[in-house]
Amino acid sequence: MVRSLNRRQVVGALGVSLAGLGLRPSIAQGASDVPIGMVLPFTGATGPYGPDMKKAADLMVKTINDAGGILGGRKLQLYIEDSETSATTSVTATHKLLDVNKVELVGGFWGSPEALAAKPLIIAANKVQMVSAAADAITDGDTKGLVYRFQAKSSQWGPAGAKVVSSLKLKKINILAQQNPFVVAMIEPFKAEMAKLGGSVADVIMYNPTQPSYRAEVEKAFGSDPDGVFVGALLTDFVAIAKEVYRGGYQAKIVGLGTGADADGAFLKSVPAEVAEGIHHLQPGPPLDSASYRKFVKEMGAPEGTVFLFAGNTHDQICVTALAMEHAKSSDASVWSKSIPAVCNPPGEEVDDILKALEMVRVGKKINFVGAGATVDFNERGDQLNRSFVHQVIHNGKNEIVDIVS
Amino acid sequence: MIAYLSTLVVLVSIGVLVGLALNFQWGTAGLVNFGVVGFVALGAYTVALLGPHIGWFAAMVCAAAVSAAVSTILAFLSIRLADDYLAIVTIGFGEVVGILLLNEDWLTGGALGIANVPRPFASMVSAAHYDAVLLGFALALVAFTFVTLEILVRSPFGRALRAVREDPIVAGALGKPVLRLRIRAFAVGGAVMGLAGALHAFYLTYIDPGQFTSITTAYAFMAVILGGRGSNTGLLVGAGSIMTLLEATRFLKDALAIVDGAQLAALRLGLVGIGIILLLILRPQGLFAEPRKRVRDFFPDDEVLPDRPAAAARSTRAFAADPSVPSFQHCESEVSSRES
Repeated sequence: MVRSLNRRQVVGALGVSLAGLGLRPSIAQGASDVPIGMVLPFTGATGPYGPDMKKAADLMVKTINDAGGILGGRKLQLYIEDSETSATTSVTATHKLLDVNKVELVGGFWGSPEALAAKPLIIAANKVQMVSAAADAITDGDTKGLVYRFQAKSSQWGPAGAKVVSSLKLKKINILAQQNPFVVAMIEPFKAEMAKLGGSVADVIMYNPTQPSYRAEVEKAFGSDPDGVFVGALLTDFVAIAKEVYRGGYQAKIVGLGTGADADGAFLKSVPAEVAEGIHHLQPGPPLDSASYRKFVKEMGAPEGTVFLFAGNTHDQICVTALAMEHAKSSDASVWSKSIPAVCNPPGEEVDDILKALEMVRVGKKINFVGAGATVDFNERGDQLNRSFVHQVIHNGKNEIVDIVS
Repeated sequence: MIAYLSTLVVLVSIGVLVGLALNFQWGTAGLVNFGVVGFVALGAYTVALLGPHIGWFAAMVCAAAVSAAVSTILAFLSIRLADDYLAIVTIGFGEVVGILLLNEDWLTGGALGIANVPRPFASMVSAAHYDAVLLGFALALVAFTFVTLEILVRSPFGRALRAVREDPIVAGALGKPVLRLRIRAFAVGGAVMGLAGALHAFYLTYIDPGQFTSITTAYAFMAVILGGRGSNTGLLVGAGSIMTLLEATRFLKDALAIVDGAQLAALRLGLVGIGIILLLILRPQGLFAEPRKRVRDFFPDDEVLPDRPAAAARSTRAFAADPSVPSFQHCESEVSSRES
């Protein structure tokens, strides 16, 4: 009897303590704070990308707040939610940010399904969505001018990939690609560009994500002895594929995407140097030569020359938000969203330092902000212009830049 | 906050519907179904594909019908297999559905999924007030399902299912059509899973194969285990607490500076796992065990001979607690509701 009482007490105490954790009131935010939010992946297949994106966003919020904030001393208050690499979770997280934290911006969004599922909610709430995802559908339809893409579109990746492939003098190509919205959308543009450049695509092999093994697919793609294989993969599957190719001893050149073959350095940490040797990859490049990007790499505590594929995007999202709010003299999303092109696009004085840029906006100067992830210029649909791609090759366990493809 | 809470309730409702269905198949009829997510996905895709053409209501009915029909077929294929083998077949089914949805892009849109799923009553209310409508709709759906399943569980059909669960051979010997009972139980559960899928599609308005992963199945099993196998009331509490717990931990990092988002994300799922393990060790019958039928329920005290009431009551108790009586001691959910 005594024992059974103890059990109940334990279960009860467990329940109460967990419930208590949940009921703890959120920190009261100051009346003058400007709440903004981000949905980033920390768990699931794309989990490795989240921490750096968060770090970059936190860094910018701190920089801006330490310098006195925006709109005459108001601080930015950043809330970050885990997307769990799932569209369903992305929706609940977005709901929480919009309804509980009352954010003016929902940014982040690595992954097209997450971005697509949250888009209708954010537009219905008249807030701004900033994504770091590629599927063309994100900026399609009526976005009310509230959706901005801090990333190249899928359909831009295809031609860039074809240019890299033909610059390596590879004529007969197979495509090995994961079934996901991001990769699927780049296949047709890739084929079209290849045909233009005088090459040909012999075979397209699609595979499902989270397979236990990719041996059959690798054999099919590499076994027919093509000049090269264009591999549209994300990190976890690319690691498995690269190992499989190495084990099989295939000679065809691999041209991969930065999402798999770099992933902010995660790929090189996941495979031995000899497996990664000679893999070419491309990704939308940050303006590597800009002072802003070099400063950003230093602030992130990374060695010089590191290519941050996604962290720069969240950095830019925070900067653009702060600048647009300052320009519009309002934290109301339906007002400041209209100021985004004004602070990002030419004409105007180019500036890459956020504090300097904020100062210039305050004194009424016309600026053209240049970010750490891109030059952040937008067309009328909210898609980023001038995203150039960095073509790199892995040599001795290090990424070496081959050229810039635009 | 209200809008967020209402979406939370919708999310819980989807979890409850899936849980109720599994509780009927596994809790009441004893049929392990690890392919839950496959049936939910079928319901969601049926609504998304048919909704624009035949309206949301007809599409929802079709979703239930399609899931029920597929359940029936699956039950025929696998019902003669014993527990473990049925589990394997249903896992396989769940995987097959996922892979078909991902690769048959002429029908399902493949990895891109289907956007703009029509929602119930969407034309009648403005988008700003729609949350309340969906909330009411979800609650009505849960209430309807709960009542229907409760009636079924209490009916002769439900009693026969429990008899089949406890011992199919004994039930068969008593003239119960075991196979037909199991198929019907599987079909009813499948229909409810289809409804849950429909609600999922209405809630998100955008579906893609990535939303239907085995975690859905895992949550359903957690809810049933937490609530107590066979108890629909327990299921409501179980599904509600798991979903609330998962969501409530979101607020933890807003309040505590020492836990950051990345750490919390890893901690959240871990916490739920630890909770389930502790629960299985400390209270294996779940929070609300299925009400245990005793001999006394069928032969009330007043039928006992008047001159020996105490002895008769004692012997009734002894019978109920006697481990040598197999039909009462077969299942862990039966353990001692007497204790509480």
